[in-house]
Amino acid sequence: MTNENINTPTIPTWCPGCYNFIILAAIKNVINEELKKGKTKNDFALVSGIGCHGKIFDYINLNGINTLHGRVLPTCMGIRVGNPNLTVLGFSGDGDCYAEGMEHLIHTARYNPDVKYFVHNNQVFALTAGQPTPTTEIGYKDKTTPLGVKLYPMNPIKLMLAAGCGFVARVFAEKEQIEWVFKEALKHKGFTFVEIIQPSVIFHQDKNYMQKFYSLQKEGHDKTNFDAAWKKADEFDYNVVKKIPTGIFYQKEKPMFEDLWPQLVELKKKKMSWRDLKR
Amino acid sequence: MRFSILFGGKAGQGVNVLSNILGNALTKKGQYVFVSRDYQSLIRGGHNFNVLTFSDKPVASNDSQIDMIIALDENTINLHRSELKKGGKIIEKEGKGNMYFAGRIFKLLCVEFSVLEEELRELKFFEENIKDAKEGYNETSEVACKVSLNKNKLKFVNGNQGISEGAVKSGVDIYYAYPMTPATNVMGELAEKQIENNNIVIELESEVAVINAAIGSAITGAKTMIGTSGGGFDLMTEALSLTGVAEVPLVIYLASRPGPSTGVATYTGQGDLDLARHSGHGEFNRLVIAPGDPKECEELTSQAFYFSQKFGIPTIILSDKHLAEGLYTMDKNSVITPSKKMTSLKRYNSYETDEFGCATEDAEKIIKNVDARMKMGKEIEKEAEKFSQFNVYGNRTSKNVVLFWGSTKGAIIDAMENLDAKFVQVLYLEPFPMRIKKEIEGKNIILVENNATGQLGKLVAEKTGIFIDDKNKILRYDGRPFLADELREELGGRLK
Ligand SMILES: Cc1ncc(C[n+]2csc(CCOP(=O)(O)OP(=O)(O)O)c2C)c(N)n1
Ligand code: SF4
Ligand SMILES: [Mg+2]
Repeated sequence: MTNENINTPTIPTWCPGCYNFIILAAIKNVINEELKKGKTKNDFALVSGIGCHGKIFDYINLNGINTLHGRVLPTCMGIRVGNPNLTVLGFSGDGDCYAEGMEHLIHTARYNPDVKYFVHNNQVFALTAGQPTPTTEIGYKDKTTPLGVKLYPMNPIKLMLAAGCGFVARVFAEKEQIEWVFKEALKHKGFTFVEIIQPSVIFHQDKNYMQKFYSLQKEGHDKTNFDAAWKKADEFDYNVVKKIPTGIFYQKEKPMFEDLWPQLVELKKKKMSWRDLKR
Repeated sequence: MRFSILFGGKAGQGVNVLSNILGNALTKKGQYVFVSRDYQSLIRGGHNFNVLTFSDKPVASNDSQIDMIIALDENTINLHRSELKKGGKIIEKEGKGNMYFAGRIFKLLCVEFSVLEEELRELKFFEENIKDAKEGYNETSEVACKVSLNKNKLKFVNGNQGISEGAVKSGVDIYYAYPMTPATNVMGELAEKQIENNNIVIELESEVAVINAAIGSAITGAKTMIGTSGGGFDLMTEALSLTGVAEVPLVIYLASRPGPSTGVATYTGQGDLDLARHSGHGEFNRLVIAPGDPKECEELTSQAFYFSQKFGIPTIILSDKHLAEGLYTMDKNSVITPSKKMTSLKRYNSYETDEFGCATEDAEKIIKNVDARMKMGKEIEKEAEKFSQFNVYGNRTSKNVVLFWGSTKGAIIDAMENLDAKFVQVLYLEPFPMRIKKEIEGKNIILVENNATGQLGKLVAEKTGIFIDDKNKILRYDGRPFLADELREELGGRLK
């Protein structure tokens, strides 16, 4: 793969004004910076799920796979096991991650492979035209829920804290925030969970989010303090919008999956993949 | 001469250890040995029994009538007395453990104590064991059968060991699994030697995670394999379909037990041939192959790697509890088909794609992709013809044909003697070897399968237009394997 650019000829089919365009641009900016710093395209692997978010695979010319709905994380894990030298990036939607692929999220947090994971949370199944997901607020209506959503949404930030994730962050779909958190995630050894609040301009618009966001880091939040992280996570319950903290809630490095198996440690040391191994 | 011994007792009493010790020792003496395991889905108590048959000629099955019962508990006698041959022996002694019985059986078969001692050295608690074994050995001077010394160089292995060995010889890099009987022991075998063999064995949270992680690894170019039984395989099938469209090389070991659903968890059956052939949505290429003994397990596993790498397809190795956990003596080395790693990381997709690896809905591109897959299907068929897609035994010119696949091979080969029939064992179930048509056309075809619907029979009908008469279908679906003597009778009654 040549190194000149990471564009594909494919024209994005997201709706005009979709926040996914911002996510795409920010992610590409950081990757391009990494390429300038000496990484090559072959150092990356990109995995996305199925949903509007999943189309990001078509708009970034990197190796990887646009995999099944809900299966981004085991796929990322498998790529890291196959070649522990790759920088593996995963992109899911809230349906993809919190509904269909929920078990993988919890277990991947526990395994802690070096995977940089982004969840585009628009609080709906957008590509199937707007049904509610596990993070949709009570009262939301669509054709499949004419009586309105009755169930209280789950809180993925708290879930990730409870699951032992070593890097738990939330940002808004805004260029600076995404670029910043992506770079922080790249510096972190191990699984990084980043939720991107990404309104769907068609199905789940910005519900005055803009006025409610505030930055944890600017406020001086201690991201090494688990209890403080837990309290901050409680401030936004995905149901009623009062204030929404963004930034890194919690960060603590712990042993990575790839460092616990001598076979993988050896591959990393030799900068090899299993494919390179002659038997 | 075949001599058979039934070892029975409660789970936890060490029936397996006992039959393994004897099996190993007899193998070293050049005897052919076969052991089948019958155990319940529980960890302590209940009733387990193993039947060991040995002979100076090849054996790969048991008979319904037994020469000797080693009873580690009273229940064993109650349950199995009726299977004992006239003049057969029951060995029992209250309060004694399996090592005592090991001593007794070695004496009864006239095998030197030093041979037993050698076996015991391989196990834990040598001092205690040898004491008990000595007591059993010195209990009587009775002799039941003299084991003659043969020069055969034999290996005593089960089907799962054959699969593992085949995988290692094929250079497997990564094996993922979630435990499920009877596939679990492949994970155990490979895991035990992963450092020595420099590969890696990883247990994940579910079969869904297993196959998706395997896809992730396989697209990096690693030789990747997974293993499960029917229920776990069902969970994998969405991703199986993904390997079909994205052309991911993946070897899948499917070891069956009786379904539907949880079925009979620790027993045997061949009910998953249809599943292996038809699972996964959409139309895509795959290979389904079924070994009949541990040697074929090794060989077909290497072929599974060969085809998966060469074509970028999922390859399914189909076995069952009887083959997976039954112990056989192998008298020849397997022939391994070497395979190169052909895959490298590029852009893969679960959608139909264009030339950039991006999703497409363009009609022409869809046609192009589908046609390419169909063309590859033909190439796979052609390539498969270079391999032994089926084995033929017996009288090749007979007007009778016995058709079978997989683990029924043992009982069939053992039942074959003096039966005027051609025996056809199908190894390649997908792509199906069309040359079989010539072998069976116009013959009196008898089908032997460990299932209720005759799935190979249906496959043959689909491919050749030849229908097998219901009267000629010998189907067993009680979770138990065929026994050679009973099968001989069943076959004999259907020959023309
Ligand atoms: C197994 C499976 N079930 C259902 C679908 C249909 N499906 C496609 S996209 C989607 C919803 C995606 O929602 P989300 O992950 O939140 O992504 P978004 O479109 O909102 O970005 C669903 C249910 C599918 N592709 N696969
Ligand atoms: S439906 Fe929503 S998420 Fe999907 S492209 Fe349109 S605006 Fe974006
Ligand atoms: Mg969504």
